[in-house]
Amino acid sequence: MSQTPIDSILARRKILITCGTGGVGKTTLSAAIAMRAALLGRRAVVVTIDPAKRLATSLGLEGLGDHATDLTPLLRNALAKMPASGLNGVPGSLHAIMPDTRRTFESFIRELAPSEALARRVMENPIFQIFAKEFSGANEYMALERLFTLERQSEYDCIILDTPPSRDTLAFLDAPKLLVQFFEERLIRWLVLPANKIVSAGMRKALGILEKLTGAGFMTNLFDFASALFEVRARFSANLNAITRLLESPRAGFIMVATPGTIGGGEVRHFLESVAKHGFHFDGVALNRTLGHLKALPGEPEYPEARAVLRGLQEKEGAALSEALGQARRGGDDIPVCARLPELARDVHSLEDLLHVSLAFGPLRPEA
Amino acid sequence: MQGYSVEKLTLLKAGRSCGLLHRQMTPPRTLPFTPSDQLRGRKLLFVSGKGGVGKTAVSQALALARAREGKRVLWVTFEDPLRPAGELRQVPGPKGLWQLNCDATRAFEEYAALKIGMAPLTRVFLRNKLMQYLAKAAPGIHELVLLGKVWHERLNYDQVIVDMPSTGYGLAMFQSTENFRTLFKGGPLFRDAEQMLRTFSDPAQTGLLIVALPEEMPLQESLELHEFLLALFPENPSGFIVNRLFPRVTGPAEEQASPPDSWPTPHATSVGEYLRKRSILESANLRIWSGAGLEYAALPYVPPAPGQSFDTLVEALSQELSR
Repeated sequence: MSQTPIDSILARRKILITCGTGGVGKTTLSAAIAMRAALLGRRAVVVTIDPAKRLATSLGLEGLGDHATDLTPLLRNALAKMPASGLNGVPGSLHAIMPDTRRTFESFIRELAPSEALARRVMENPIFQIFAKEFSGANEYMALERLFTLERQSEYDCIILDTPPSRDTLAFLDAPKLLVQFFEERLIRWLVLPANKIVSAGMRKALGILEKLTGAGFMTNLFDFASALFEVRARFSANLNAITRLLESPRAGFIMVATPGTIGGGEVRHFLESVAKHGFHFDGVALNRTLGHLKALPGEPEYPEARAVLRGLQEKEGAALSEALGQARRGGDDIPVCARLPELARDVHSLEDLLHVSLAFGPLRPEA
Repeated sequence: MQGYSVEKLTLLKAGRSCGLLHRQMTPPRTLPFTPSDQLRGRKLLFVSGKGGVGKTAVSQALALARAREGKRVLWVTFEDPLRPAGELRQVPGPKGLWQLNCDATRAFEEYAALKIGMAPLTRVFLRNKLMQYLAKAAPGIHELVLLGKVWHERLNYDQVIVDMPSTGYGLAMFQSTENFRTLFKGGPLFRDAEQMLRTFSDPAQTGLLIVALPEEMPLQESLELHEFLLALFPENPSGFIVNRLFPRVTGPAEEQASPPDSWPTPHATSVGEYLRKRSILESANLRIWSGAGLEYAALPYVPPAPGQSFDTLVEALSQELSR
């Protein structure tokens, strides 16, 4: 019997990054993969970037936060309550981290800034305060920073990164590029030129219009913010390059999490192309919340109306899968489906529930 | 594309237990609500909700139902990949139904032209590399101009129904308008942001509608969205549509005897077990929902027939909504 696909992926990667739009169950699935790694004997950690702290809620663990929480004892307890699993003991370990993105961002500015005074000036700037909260890409960047640090620490030999929630599966992949644009030196330089320097007439005109539109207070803050950025840009770019190299290395693999409802419309193809363009490694699509496996048992009540809805969903699911995978195949790629997980009848409420999900990936045979 | 202010949601986090919606809530000041009430008389209708809840279908169905009544309706999507960027088209069907597929770059250029006035100056501004960089890099500027476009269009139609981007990004759109109001002290941008916020917070002009699913996380998230919007627009509470209800196959006795928390596993193994559990779960969630004093309209799960097109689904929902 061959190995369960997700297990062979875990065997060849140190880092797995899960991408997917909201509502596909990415956070639960990521935690379940990390748990599986622990059951296979790895020192696993799941890092989940989520301002709404859903992992803590779904595991009933309010204490989960910026520091790694050891879930191994809880996993042992859960396993003890499930003799049917046939597993005795956890050969590895399981940790969870939910980075506080705001704090990470501030400590990151402190680290980059040459002086404490400059760091404070940046953080007090109203533009920065909004930037830290709103910039699409800030959370993504913080996730990468954290990943990079964890990788270097070698405390774990398996890191599962649950990327920030986004409306677009590709958002995470494009985040570094966005940030590079943000720090585009040539342009920031314009903003930090002393006011008395000779500026081209066109530039002076454009700045004048901007000032008229936004008010003078904004311009002062903007110049201030830009000059602070200017001072931290070099170290920032160096960090970003190192992180990009890590993502490109064979140590890291990308998984697209999708549901039968979100897999259509060329999503898989887009993701595949984008991963390839960045030079990353694609490990397959994890299909979550599938209904296709549900069969009626003899003697069950009819429920004709409800069953018609379910049948409709199952038919749609079959069609969506063959369409999406067929489309990708016509593009020359054979899409590996690295996991197929059933729709849950209710949400995960405990580590024990998560263990059920983790075992649903397929038979588990710890490494020899 | 997300990052709504979490601090405003912490209120909700207190009192949360075992992942269900048992929690203390600020008493929501919900207006008596049915979707048709929400529809009447309000120029702007923002349909928001988390990704995958059926916002697009529901908002389009609302627009269709309204156009059938003989109104001139604009249905707004944001960067719908199926339509060309910035396209305004007449939707096939009843007269008076239009779709605008808003595009940030175009909206920014239009807005700049409107504000600067003179064409040569606008060109200098838009062609300037630094301005292009700022427009791209400044967080929230896209959201601001997109909402500004919608705000402006309300003058040209009987009603504008907006399919908002999924929760995080959608919230960011409102939040950034607020941010810019704070950042730009004085100046035309400040005044525009202020006027937009005034329109959005006025229940006589703007309706806020949240689409939710009867599942745990999605319901919880729509409550968070509700709180967030209430913090921004205290005078204008949102209405709810709970979408995709399964036909109920369980009675109150069974639902009481076997609540979701008592199930030993989150899985279901047969069709019958799944449908029963689903029914118990939805009823339990809706009880919590109404227990919190929230009024909602419910839409049934429209069984997808094989080969059914999106338009058929929209049509079915639109029939439901006009009842």
